[in-house]
Amino acid sequence: MSSPVSDRLARDGGGEANPLGGVKSKYPGPRREISRDQTLTWWRRVLPVIASHRVTFITAIVLSFVSLIFQVFVPNMLANDINNTFIKHVNSLHGDVISIVVVGVLAGVTGIISRQYLFYTAYNVEADLRSLIYEHLTWLSFSFYDRVQSGQLISRANSDIRSVQMYSIFAPLIIVQCCIGVVAFGFMLSINWALALISMIVMPILYVVGIKMRRVMFPISWITQARLAEVATIVDENVNGVRVVKSFAQEEAEINRLADAAEGVAWSYIKDANIRAVWSPWVQNLPQLGLALVLLCGGWMVLHGDLQYPEILAFSLYLLMLQAPFMMLGQLVMMGQRAKASAARIFEILDERPEIVDRPGAYDLLDINGRVDLNHVTFTYDNGAEILKDFDVHIRPGETVALVGRTGSGKSTVARLMTRFYDVSSGNVEIDGHDIRDVTLTSLRENVGVVLDEPFLFSISIRDNIAYGRPDASLEEIQAAARAANADEFIVRLPESYDTVIGERGYTLSGGQRQRIAIARTLLLNPPILILDDATSAIDVHVESGIYEALRGLLTQRTTIVIAHRISTIALASRVLLIDEGRVIADGTHEDLLANVPLYSEILAQATNEESA
Amino acid sequence: MGMGFGGGGGGMFGGSAASTASRAGLPFGGIPEELMDEATKLLATEPEHPKSDVHFTQLPSAKEHERLTLPRLLAVYPKWVVAGSFLVIIISLTLQAGPLLTEYAIQHGMERHRDLLVIVVCALLYLVLALISVYFQREQVDVTGKLSSRVMHDLRIRVFTQFQRLSLDFFTEEKAGVLMSRMTSDIENLQQLIQDGISQFALQGLTMIVITVILFVTNVELAAWTVLVIVPLLLVFSVWYHHASEKGYLLARDRIAIVLADLSESLYGIRVVTANNRQRRNIRNHRHVVGAYRDANAYTGRVNAIYGPSTLMIGILGQAMLLGIGGHMVLSHQLNPAALIVFFLYLNRFFAPIQLLVQQYTTLQQGRSSIIRLRELLETTPTVDELPDADVLPTIEGRITFEDVSFGYLPGELVLEHVNLEIAPGESVAFVGPTGAGKSTMAKLANRFYDPTSGRVLVDGIDVKTVTLRSLRSQLGVVPQEAFLFAGSIRTNLSFGRLGTTDQEIEEAVDVVGLRDLVERLPDGLDTPVHERGQTLSAGERQQLALARAFLARPRVLILDEATSSLDLQSETVIERALDRLLEGRSAILIAHRLTTAQRADRIVVIDQGGIVEMGTPEELIAAGGAYAIMYEAWLASGGRDATRTASAD
Repeated sequence: MSSPVSDRLARDGGGEANPLGGVKSKYPGPRREISRDQTLTWWRRVLPVIASHRVTFITAIVLSFVSLIFQVFVPNMLANDINNTFIKHVNSLHGDVISIVVVGVLAGVTGIISRQYLFYTAYNVEADLRSLIYEHLTWLSFSFYDRVQSGQLISRANSDIRSVQMYSIFAPLIIVQCCIGVVAFGFMLSINWALALISMIVMPILYVVGIKMRRVMFPISWITQARLAEVATIVDENVNGVRVVKSFAQEEAEINRLADAAEGVAWSYIKDANIRAVWSPWVQNLPQLGLALVLLCGGWMVLHGDLQYPEILAFSLYLLMLQAPFMMLGQLVMMGQRAKASAARIFEILDERPEIVDRPGAYDLLDINGRVDLNHVTFTYDNGAEILKDFDVHIRPGETVALVGRTGSGKSTVARLMTRFYDVSSGNVEIDGHDIRDVTLTSLRENVGVVLDEPFLFSISIRDNIAYGRPDASLEEIQAAARAANADEFIVRLPESYDTVIGERGYTLSGGQRQRIAIARTLLLNPPILILDDATSAIDVHVESGIYEALRGLLTQRTTIVIAHRISTIALASRVLLIDEGRVIADGTHEDLLANVPLYSEILAQATNEESA
Repeated sequence: MGMGFGGGGGGMFGGSAASTASRAGLPFGGIPEELMDEATKLLATEPEHPKSDVHFTQLPSAKEHERLTLPRLLAVYPKWVVAGSFLVIIISLTLQAGPLLTEYAIQHGMERHRDLLVIVVCALLYLVLALISVYFQREQVDVTGKLSSRVMHDLRIRVFTQFQRLSLDFFTEEKAGVLMSRMTSDIENLQQLIQDGISQFALQGLTMIVITVILFVTNVELAAWTVLVIVPLLLVFSVWYHHASEKGYLLARDRIAIVLADLSESLYGIRVVTANNRQRRNIRNHRHVVGAYRDANAYTGRVNAIYGPSTLMIGILGQAMLLGIGGHMVLSHQLNPAALIVFFLYLNRFFAPIQLLVQQYTTLQQGRSSIIRLRELLETTPTVDELPDADVLPTIEGRITFEDVSFGYLPGELVLEHVNLEIAPGESVAFVGPTGAGKSTMAKLANRFYDPTSGRVLVDGIDVKTVTLRSLRSQLGVVPQEAFLFAGSIRTNLSFGRLGTTDQEIEEAVDVVGLRDLVERLPDGLDTPVHERGQTLSAGERQQLALARAFLARPRVLILDEATSSLDLQSETVIERALDRLLEGRSAILIAHRLTTAQRADRIVVIDQGGIVEMGTPEELIAAGGAYAIMYEAWLASGGRDATRTASAD
């Protein structure tokens, strides 16, 4: 199966990445994707990813088998040594000790090597899965993001990947260990089959008890987590809403609310202890019961001459060796169930197909003049809301047009259609006569620059934020863009000027400052078509006029669409389109509309009123 | 997580997670679906907990004033502490009897005397001891579980009560996260310590002592070899492992945080990523980030890979050593072969305790530092506190007096300087002025969120410092700009200010603030949950709710701190009518940017640069042509409606 991941990346050529937090790694990225075949069982679908690390994986499994074989020899050797050297006096103690040392060292060394490889494979598989999810999400369409919450995607990408990775790697290891159980059992049978069977009686019980214990412990531990979160929510509310609590003098009520929630936590912790108290002592003591049985039956056999007493030691050591795999086998079953559910959740994401992709034969949009035609466009969101109805607008190259309308009238949707964040339901959008669905997405978005209403900034330096779309831009170019957006003046006053790293999602800057950086970011791209979607709403009026002063020079060469409420912004446009309920209901200059369309003045008055607040 | 905790277990995962998930078509959040059935079954066994009845006083009692120490926390439940210690001792003895019995059976039942009775007795004793150990372990887990849960429950309430005592200056943004962790991770650390840490430490320590004693009694020389060679080796190795793996763990934790931060930024900023054609570059970047995480994990993996098999190797080499030295002693008749077998059997039993002890050492350390941090928090004195002999403020008429008040949040930077103002009972006063002029600060001084640096604030002629905080604040209602709502239904949010609010009163409040439409539109009406701090409601609707909440609390004095800033035109008109009802017979301080609201007041006070600039009725000030008149002109010019005209039209 060819990997679309590498295809997509190949287009982009070289360029050094700018890693977050300065971390770098030689990690090459996933070599294979999961199987697309949705009819396969979950682990068969993950198999290609694991198979791409088969050399290290198989080495790990083989060596751990070898290591375990060596371990299995030891108890038998000890029993034989004691028997032959001390009772029958046929062996030399010297030879005994040396052979055990050799076996021990071999078991240790092969064990170390096998685990190195195993962990290495495990963490590579995890990294592959993480990358695959990230890379897949990067290409998904916005209709997907409208449906799901980002926070939930993150939690999925985190815990679910881990449970799949744990299982797919440790399952083979545990199975190998259980195979060793078979070998050890073989040794026991060869010593004395009857005692072997008797001493193994407790093992299936141990397995069942192990499974049972995990099964009953899991739900209560989740409940505890949920309740701790409940308490945390109350604390969080009281820390953030401290003014409300104090204003209403509701401290006592809040303390009792917390006490009630804490009572629930206490109950679930006590319940947790109760359940654990029932099962965990058995897990710890079942091997002891087995040992007692070995002593009883083994002793009886020794008296009848069927067994040498040092072999009781061998049996005891084997039982101790076997308890771990049997307990893990139970764990394996539980892990398998969790992994299956987690995998299903991961596949739900990975099976999601991007809706907006380059059509076969798509060509690059080059050297455009900037004519924009929205021909009888209808648009309906996935939730069924019809936003644009027979929307027909034609914009000449170099023209500046303002879209004005109430909230929800469909203004912002126009911007989203022009960048193909969404595709039209019917009609079409043309740039210079090219249907935008016929051109490559990359070239379309290079030509249509949009400043979004919510100025999202990344937790990187201001310089890198402005250069986000053109990471190779020189500092001079970045500064020029910042000056045009009236951002330079406040940036140079920051502690580290352009190298100041913005806090989490840029929250340390004011809304107006963030908007100015977002404008600079788009200006740096110098797109022939520019869309400003309510991009200056949080900027003070006098600063805004400065931005438009700078823009005026830049706008003459490009087609510009401004979506705005403010008269000052609208004044920038040579033509105003009044939009209501998904249609253009008036088209003309600001003065025309003000004079002739009552709705227009109403909308402007309302906006101004909000502004003054 | 779920809502409506107190109303019985079943509802706890209801609402948010499930409904969002079904809407999104993706089952997310909370408890994994596959465990849901069993979780529900478990919850059915939960008894109805009696409603808590904790009494709050601003000043801590003598008991609460005691220094926080672990022994003091435990001493509240002496019975469980004694029972737990007793059980731990019994368990460490019963668990280690097995090999000794095996030795006895071999030596006295198989080797020389060949006596079935001895074997049977030994084996049965072994069996019985194992069963006794099961029983005692069960009791011990129960007791320590109960002990730790109750102790932590007490501590949670104690720490949270301290939160409520602390003054507003303590709750700045940077400290919010720290405060959270006091109530969450610090308390959970202690829970861990009491539940597992202490008992494991005691149990494993005792086990090692018991085994050492048995070995030395069996054979001093061989015991010395075992304890002096193998144990130190294992100990050193375990300590190394512990440090190395912790280092790796911390590194991996930092790196996964970066991975998730990168993922989350890319998702929240997906529009910007797409608009800027950054997908390919971001993918490469994410590979570095994921790769760095993988590298950190690989380090931990190497440490683990070395430790596990090496311990095993030490075990086997230890057995070889015992065989060599002990075998020599057997051959020279210094040692019985059965005794050698005992050494083999006990050798294995040294490993687990050492590993567990090293592991628990971290729990112990974490618990210790958590105690220290909590102690610090509990010993913090609130900056705004009650006097020990504070009186209850009687029902007030609502006269508020600022007497030569100066105040600064930071020493040396005064926000208010020598302010004098008197608000008569029933009078409404609007504070206007530029941002940062000190308007909100005045309001915060009135209800004692802060104390003035100098001067006095009086209510009905009584210094606010001399009365209890509760009696003062319950008579002063504040509606802040950020309308904070609590997780819960609209109804519980509305009745927040006064317990025992009737349904009828709530319905009335809904009408007064103009929320009737909203309530009727919502699926569950007043019982609709408010999610994630009210994100399902618009900012305007949240402010309306906050107003209704204040209305229901029936304060004698009402303070609106920018409480109408996010309302749209329509709701604003409704609210203004509501204000008439709200202000009826009450003193009020209105802090407003919108002059519509200010115009409604009996008197306007213009505040700038820490002092009062002008004061008078709206008409007077407009006529006077001062600062307010200029503001008013500018506001009218920018399209503001003339409030006086609207009012007269009503």
